[in-house]
Amino acid sequence: MTFFQALLIGLFAYLGSKRTPWFFGVAGGWNMIGRPLVAGLIVGVILGDIPNGVIAGAMVQALFIGQITPGGAMPADVNWAAYIGIPLALAAGGTGEQAVALSVPLSMLGLGLFNFIMTINAYFPHMADKSAEQGDGAGIHRATYLAAVPSFILRAGSAVLICYLGTPVAEMLIHGMPSGVLHFFEVAGKMLPAIGFAMLLKQSLAKQWMLVLFLLGWVMIGSTSMSVTALAVFATAVAIVFVMAQGEAKVPTPAAVQNTEEDDCYEE
Amino acid sequence: MKNKNQTHSLLTKKDIDKAAWSYIFFAQATQNFERMMGLAFCHVLEPVLKKLYGADSEEYKKALQRHMQFYNTEPQLGALIPGITIAMEEARAKGENISEELIVNTKNALMGPFAGIGDSMLIGTYSPILLSIAMSLCIHDGNPMGPIFFCVVWLSTVVWLQWFLFHKGYDMGIGAANLFFTNKALVDKITTGLTMMGLIVIGGVAATTVKASVIFQYVNGDMTLSLQEQIFDKIMPGILPLLLTLAVWYMMDKKKWSATKIVLGIVVFAAVMVFLGIM
Repeated sequence: MTFFQALLIGLFAYLGSKRTPWFFGVAGGWNMIGRPLVAGLIVGVILGDIPNGVIAGAMVQALFIGQITPGGAMPADVNWAAYIGIPLALAAGGTGEQAVALSVPLSMLGLGLFNFIMTINAYFPHMADKSAEQGDGAGIHRATYLAAVPSFILRAGSAVLICYLGTPVAEMLIHGMPSGVLHFFEVAGKMLPAIGFAMLLKQSLAKQWMLVLFLLGWVMIGSTSMSVTALAVFATAVAIVFVMAQGEAKVPTPAAVQNTEEDDCYEE
Repeated sequence: MKNKNQTHSLLTKKDIDKAAWSYIFFAQATQNFERMMGLAFCHVLEPVLKKLYGADSEEYKKALQRHMQFYNTEPQLGALIPGITIAMEEARAKGENISEELIVNTKNALMGPFAGIGDSMLIGTYSPILLSIAMSLCIHDGNPMGPIFFCVVWLSTVVWLQWFLFHKGYDMGIGAANLFFTNKALVDKITTGLTMMGLIVIGGVAATTVKASVIFQYVNGDMTLSLQEQIFDKIMPGILPLLLTLAVWYMMDKKKWSATKIVLGIVVFAAVMVFLGIM
């Protein structure tokens, strides 16, 4: 990997991290450029191997497809997995499996960096507090723009350095890694996504019985050849039936209440 | 339109459009552990507040300070909330009886539900659906159409959604918040419906993502018994990853284990299983 290629990868690593306003904010940055699937294409273009880049991106994406970060709590740092794991694997002549093996430990190490940035960035609201007291609007905007600086330095910097200096190490690791270790990363990597789903369950289970819905979705996909899109249609239907079955008596407008109470007995 | 112009007279459509773009770009730009999205929220509202209250007024300083406080939600679905807030600030600037507490409390009351629904609908359901379609297009042959499909569909819909919700929030103003609080039963119904839908889809996405299989084979003379194929797959495909996911949920929710502790737990478990030749 040339230094210029590493520099470009570092730039996209920053653009795909959290807290980047540049490309439609969180929608175009963290939730788009930051996705391993998209990173695979970008890295593939930069390193001149689009098909392998896209395949590696899709395989690493599979690890993080359901990654949700409730309240800023993160089970793994996708950014390092996407913008260090994929380029290092490609540069070292590896394929998707090697990208997965590198991404898993990198995503755990990257968590330290994520938490570090989240902590030091608490400085900027304090800076803006003073501007707010004095009614200095420009000061608030300045603090907002300055808050991007630590992200840029640490995100882009770490990706450039590790990608550029790490290629020989990655080559050594990938070619010298005992197959057992490679297999271990694969096994661990496929189990780790359970954390993201567990966090989401913890957050969205309003009532305990709703756990059966999660089981239902799991069985529909796991035991049939149903696609996720078909499941979404099915899930919408189930939700609508449930809400309708609860009756419309709770609809607050008085007219609607009267109508439905009468209708309920005869038509349904 | 006419009705809107009567109720919102201090701010022009251009002010709202500008604030909406500012929100779309900057909502998550200052995230940190102490205030989360607080500073960015103030950054988005500042030009509007200056116009409403005047640059040197006490009210302007107080408004800046109340929007610097802790604020956190799912920023994309949560685009409704700054819209509502701007409408409330405008009503307050016009002398309507809207207290500072009402504005702050409305924000705080809305951010929780929007975080929950936004995380499960957008990040937990919509994004995985698009990603799995995109991945099926490219995981075998590396076709760049996969990622391009994801980018085009995701970005166009989600940016439009934020734009729409931000303006909707402003148009409905305190009415949107009232709808939320007075129609508790209706809101609960909608929330329940969306949560149910999200949970089913997330269960399916989890089934395609979380994997765990046993490679251990029991050999006795001529007989070879593959535990995975002949026992676990017969019981139910994917039963092991399902049990794993439920176990992780149990440890996090009931035993209060942190994510870091679980990560370490899984890594150690995987290492032992691989070392013993079981997985």
